[in-house]
Amino acid sequence: MLRRFTSSIIQSRGIKHQVNIKWVRPEYKPSYDPEKSGDLEGVPQISKSSLGQDYALSEEMKNASEAVQKLFSVAFLGQKEYHTLVRKELMDRVKRHQYDECTAETRIARLTGQIRYLQEYMEKYPRNNKMKKVVQEIIDKRKKLLKYLRQYDYKKFEWLLEKLNIEYKAHPDSYHKLSRKESLRKLTEMHCEDIRNKKLADYRNLLESQQGPFLKQKLEALKFIRSEQIELQIPISVTEQDIKKVEEQLEEWTIREGIKQEAKRKRRNLILNVD
Amino acid sequence: MARNVAESARKFLLLGQCVPTVKQNATKIRVKRLELDENLLMYFRKDTFYYCHDPEKKCKTGDIVLIKALPQKLTKLITHEVEEVVYPFGDITDPITGKKVMKERYREDVDKQAEIFGKLKSAFNYEAAPPRGWQDGKKDFTTKPTYTKFHVFDENDPYAI
Repeated sequence: MLRRFTSSIIQSRGIKHQVNIKWVRPEYKPSYDPEKSGDLEGVPQISKSSLGQDYALSEEMKNASEAVQKLFSVAFLGQKEYHTLVRKELMDRVKRHQYDECTAETRIARLTGQIRYLQEYMEKYPRNNKMKKVVQEIIDKRKKLLKYLRQYDYKKFEWLLEKLNIEYKAHPDSYHKLSRKESLRKLTEMHCEDIRNKKLADYRNLLESQQGPFLKQKLEALKFIRSEQIELQIPISVTEQDIKKVEEQLEEWTIREGIKQEAKRKRRNLILNVD
Repeated sequence: MARNVAESARKFLLLGQCVPTVKQNATKIRVKRLELDENLLMYFRKDTFYYCHDPEKKCKTGDIVLIKALPQKLTKLITHEVEEVVYPFGDITDPITGKKVMKERYREDVDKQAEIFGKLKSAFNYEAAPPRGWQDGKKDFTTKPTYTKFHVFDENDPYAI
């Protein structure tokens, strides 16, 4: 009884964690979230007093009294007219000509308009599941259209992203539910990679620091050999070029070492200043 | 069979498509082949991936390129080098007339149509457009593979979805 009780509280079996990694699960974001859909801006600013799309064309409306204009404004005509104006605003940014309704860029602009006002709606009513699905479908459709546009006209694709303020990210290899195990595995892998890189860098530094003294020794030895060979009048095996080469290497090394020391000093100063 | 393919791959130039990768100084190339299933006597597609040495970043994601085997392996992974970019992605030229193509139509035809209807200022201008890559890393995230977000890091990676 007691054993069962303690085992339920303290997990005794399972993975032994030798690496101390703290995993933070990413916060849940609904599918309509602007961060997921890639929309970098919200609904375009349209004043509530602007006239409905068709009424704005009318000649009589221009001379009409204020009360009539107010009656035919978006605030009185309802959400539907307002949404039409939102779509129109976005489509006007990319329209090729006056009658352009069904080219790729206008279609994407229209869908973008829809997505943006529906996102605003979903913020208000996050439990409307039917609408949530609708938004998701529109977002997917836009992504598909962007994917095709990218394939046949890359320049226009980039221009469109800039104009409509959308981010495009390619699909990942797989969409799957995030698991703790997978995340921990990836984090551990990253941790191991860090350790490996650090060890390699340390070893490299060690070897490079030994290069200078060795080169000095080599230079002296070469000079000595050459002078001895000249003195004893035996065939000369060390040429001037060999010595010059080593001198150059030594010079390079001193420059590099100087830069490294400077960086180290700066870092130390920074730490001291922070403290 | 597999050995034959590997040997012939070493001798000849290969035609493949560039795919997103995180490697620096190298590009990942997908080469599509058809492999015969001897039981079914049917061909099935089989992809092989090659890592190619490409320090100048000659090819971008999606380009169709020719690759050649290096005389010696550069690293354990990098075995090939990029010879030539044959077809840049999303910038298709008709091989017969040499004109630029958008889907099944010439670009100039599309422009002409817009001019007849009355071209607006908001329309896209091909001449003024900068070459591909000016949105790379800003709004267009296609050079590296995307993945499911698995941890909250201090720096937010745009390739994490």
